[in-house]
Amino acid sequence: MGNLFPNFITISIIVISMLIFSTFTLIAFNLTNLLKIWEDKIEIIAYLKQGTSSREVEPLLNKTRLLEGVEVVRYVSPYDAMDFMATKLGRQKSLLEGIQPALLPPSFEIQLKKDYRNSTKIKEVVAHLEKIRQFEEIQYGQEWVETFSVLVHILRLTQWILGGLLLIGIVFITSNTLQLTISSRREEIEVMHWVGASPGFIRIPFYVEGLLQGLFGGGLAILFLFLLHQGFFLYIPPSMKAWMEKIPVLFLPPETIAWILLGGMVLGFFGSFVASMRVLKYK
Amino acid sequence: MNEAIIEMDHVSKTYPSQISALSDITLEILPGEFTFIAGPSGSGKTTLLRILCCAERPTSGEVVVYGMHITDPGFKKIYQLRRTMGIVSQDFKLLRDRTVNENVAFALEVTGHTRKEAKRKASDMLSRVGLEEREEDPILALSAGEQQRVAIARALVNSPPLILADEPTGNLDAKMTLDIMGTLTDLHQKGTTILFATQFTGLVKRYSYRVIRILDGQILNGRKVDSTQVPEVKPGE
Repeated sequence: MGNLFPNFITISIIVISMLIFSTFTLIAFNLTNLLKIWEDKIEIIAYLKQGTSSREVEPLLNKTRLLEGVEVVRYVSPYDAMDFMATKLGRQKSLLEGIQPALLPPSFEIQLKKDYRNSTKIKEVVAHLEKIRQFEEIQYGQEWVETFSVLVHILRLTQWILGGLLLIGIVFITSNTLQLTISSRREEIEVMHWVGASPGFIRIPFYVEGLLQGLFGGGLAILFLFLLHQGFFLYIPPSMKAWMEKIPVLFLPPETIAWILLGGMVLGFFGSFVASMRVLKYK
Repeated sequence: MNEAIIEMDHVSKTYPSQISALSDITLEILPGEFTFIAGPSGSGKTTLLRILCCAERPTSGEVVVYGMHITDPGFKKIYQLRRTMGIVSQDFKLLRDRTVNENVAFALEVTGHTRKEAKRKASDMLSRVGLEEREEDPILALSAGEQQRVAIARALVNSPPLILADEPTGNLDAKMTLDIMGTLTDLHQKGTTILFATQFTGLVKRYSYRVIRILDGQILNGRKVDSTQVPEVKPGE
């Protein structure tokens, strides 16, 4: 670390770039996590046609249970549906007075196997259910699952496009600032060439410098992101706190942190490699 | 018969400004030879030595040093070539922010010696060039002549089999010139090959070593000649 100013500039730029990238990673990670939580709760409600006799229910239950991807099927009679609505309405259950349970359609609540709780696989199960003529309507909240899934995909795509651009920027900036460092030691390098130092002997300290800059920059970016993450909880309004309790806002898992640090090191190394290719040719 | 350690075959060097520095040079240097390359300033002595250590590439011709075809476009092992030679250049190439000892020890450290060993060997070599009292002084505190002796010490400290010296006594007084010549003669007697470029014919005439006289980039006498036959060339001529 012969030259403080270029090192400071390089590390600062790596920190800013890695902070932007890891912020997107954190947002995408939490939205993916949220999507997983919601997907875990996904179930299909298949409404039976009015007039379906109770004798038909049991064979239909068995038939549905045998479908691929189905884990548990529960029959909800009109009376069960009425009780459920009464529970949901609470003190306002008087609204249901005068309504005959028979008006409510019977339904099957279908829970899916874990592998099938995503927007792609759920459609396969729904396609099978739609072929069963006794079902009037099938609901699985497909719209919000699909919309949210698209949102997460767009975010992931933005993250990687932005990551790619930042990556090029980091390599460019690291290599240029390392050239400044190399220039400040030009006299020493020239003498090294003169007395027969091996190219590795001359270059390896610069590679190590690049690696350390990348590691240090990545580490500081993670630290700042952690502080931002903690600060986020301090400054959320009380009205949102109760709502937030249901949606966990997690910090990056250790393996993602390790990847970001490794990424910083690789970028720093690559920057110094490019710089050394440009200015450390043996003369 | 010994095989030549340096072979230059029809070597020419023309700079982009169309100045011809060397023209069709062919020569051989045998192991253990002490050879003066004598010629006035601007005659091509420095270019010849720089081509031998790969600091410059010739425009045409072939150069082989210790069996390495250094003019091949694919030749990459410049550092291996440089380890076979101690180079004393006109501009000394010393590290201004280091002490005298550190400058000499640097040549050993970068080729794998420990710092302690390098310091000790550097100290021994500095005694041989009469700088034992100045070892810990910063390099900039030394006169040009003393800096030249540091550069010589650095070139010799690795005990290279070949020494390329470009005007190594150019900044030295008569006594120190004789001391340095004594050191080089001593190394020559132990088998070191020495190429000594100089414009001072008075110095050349003192010793009965081989002389290659060079003028306007051309060799006037390529083979062994008696140094007394070298025409007088005054400095700056």
